[in-house]
Amino acid sequence: MKLTLKVWRQQNSQDKGGFETYQVSDVSTDMSFLEVFDVLNERLINEGKDPIAFDHDCREGICGACSMYINGRAHGPWHETTTCQLHMRAYNDGDTIVVEPWRAKAFPVIKDLAVDRSAFDRIIQAGGFISVNTGNAVDANAIPIDKVDADAAFAAAACIGCGACVAACKNSSAMLFTSAKVSQLALLPQGRPEHQQRAEDMVAQMDKEGFGSCTNTGACEAECPKGISISNIARLNREFIGAGFSSKA
Amino acid sequence: MKWSQFFNTSIGKKLLVGATGLFLCSFVIVHLAGNLALLKEDGGEAFNTYAAFMGHNGLIQFIAWGLKIVILIHAVIAIQLTFRNRTARPVKYAVRPGNKTSSWFSRQMAIMGSVLFIFLVVHLAQFWWVMHYGEIGKVSYGAVTEVGNLYEVVWFAFKEPWIVILYVLGMVALAFHLIHGFKSACQTFGLNHPKYNGLISFIGVGFFGIIIPLGFAVIPVVIFFKQIS
Ligand code: HEM
Ligand code: SF4
Ligand code: FES
Repeated sequence: MKLTLKVWRQQNSQDKGGFETYQVSDVSTDMSFLEVFDVLNERLINEGKDPIAFDHDCREGICGACSMYINGRAHGPWHETTTCQLHMRAYNDGDTIVVEPWRAKAFPVIKDLAVDRSAFDRIIQAGGFISVNTGNAVDANAIPIDKVDADAAFAAAACIGCGACVAACKNSSAMLFTSAKVSQLALLPQGRPEHQQRAEDMVAQMDKEGFGSCTNTGACEAECPKGISISNIARLNREFIGAGFSSKA
Repeated sequence: MKWSQFFNTSIGKKLLVGATGLFLCSFVIVHLAGNLALLKEDGGEAFNTYAAFMGHNGLIQFIAWGLKIVILIHAVIAIQLTFRNRTARPVKYAVRPGNKTSSWFSRQMAIMGSVLFIFLVVHLAQFWWVMHYGEIGKVSYGAVTEVGNLYEVVWFAFKEPWIVILYVLGMVALAFHLIHGFKSACQTFGLNHPKYNGLISFIGVGFFGIIIPLGFAVIPVVIFFKQIS
């Protein structure tokens, strides 16, 4: 296949940036989306040009590093698929593909398609933990946990922190991410002791980072590669309301 | 977290928008029920008696003033959140997903809300202001004496085609606002449960999104056609 790529190029966070158009030929339908960028970058390097910066690590859909906003869709057109797992059979010969970085004030562009997602780390640091002594692993069955709750906590824990929810949301809201991190702990007995403080601290940090507020459009859920449900946002809202009434601090 | 901090967070503000929004939802039901008396061709007896009762009952007057404050709180906080949300994405995308990832209604809340706000200003100036502070003819029906003839004012207003069109458009905006608004408010309050989500959607879309606005919109249209025939 022959494809036209219109890619956002930006030297650094200060640079204004703009689109560059590249023609790539001999694209195989078996290639992943990132492999097309590898091929293109190799060519740019051989031509003595600056390769396109983009984030990637595992390339198997589990790390959350890859992040591209492709033709108006976070991680491209496939449902519950990260950019690294998107394959070129999704496209036809002659297609034009527009690739942009995640756009949010809280995710400043570092270079080209790579953005700084450390705001997510700070939200987790604000409360996404439980305070226990580490050391010997405790017996997995020491605390009985309802299977339904365990499954729901596990589903929330599937969040890979990729930021597609923020990228897809018209308000750049981080509610889906934050709600997943609050839920995975709030649903388990180990997470209960600090659950109210956690909800308050993580929401406060989320606001401080400059993410927008949720208007329940559901775009995050539609684009999340891990299928995180907005029922987690409802749980975060319940946790937060409960904390408002009776948190200790 | 103190309550002052709580209501300054994004979720706290959304809760205020949601709570005031749900209060307004309950108001539109009562308002429509009363307004249907306008369709009775009884010279206004049922409607004017009802309007006089509403205008003189202390509790209802209190709620009526509260209502105007609630509309202002709802609009001011909602607009404040909307601006915050706009600044959360300083550089816009070149390509947007349209309706592929979210419903059109859910993205037009601020626009439809603003149309509604303009509609409400016109609406209140036209009827509520005239009833309370303007010149209005008086009528008597048996035991009920010397009540303002708001019925006549309304019928007179709906002779004018552009006013009828304005009211119908206002109700289209109400429909579009509530199709997402009711469901959204439930989610904001944490009400999201597979057992009730179907019911919430049904009430939000079927009742608040269709039946209520349609009921309101029918009134000016019917009155208009009754008067030209
Ligand atoms: C009769 C009048 C109105 C009713 C019944 C109503 C109802 C609602 C409801 C139920 C919500 C959902 C709250 C939530 O998402 O938590 C809402 C949201 C909202 N309303 Fe209204 N509203 C009315 C008038 C207005 C007016 C006059 C404005 C603006 C000037 C407005 C602007 C908004 C905005 C911007 C939102 C937030 C959008 C979102 O969360 O997606 N509304 N309204
Ligand atoms: S909730 Fe989904 S879209 Fe958001 S960061 Fe987690 S995995 Fe990515
Ligand atoms: S590179 Fe790890 S999820 Fe895509």
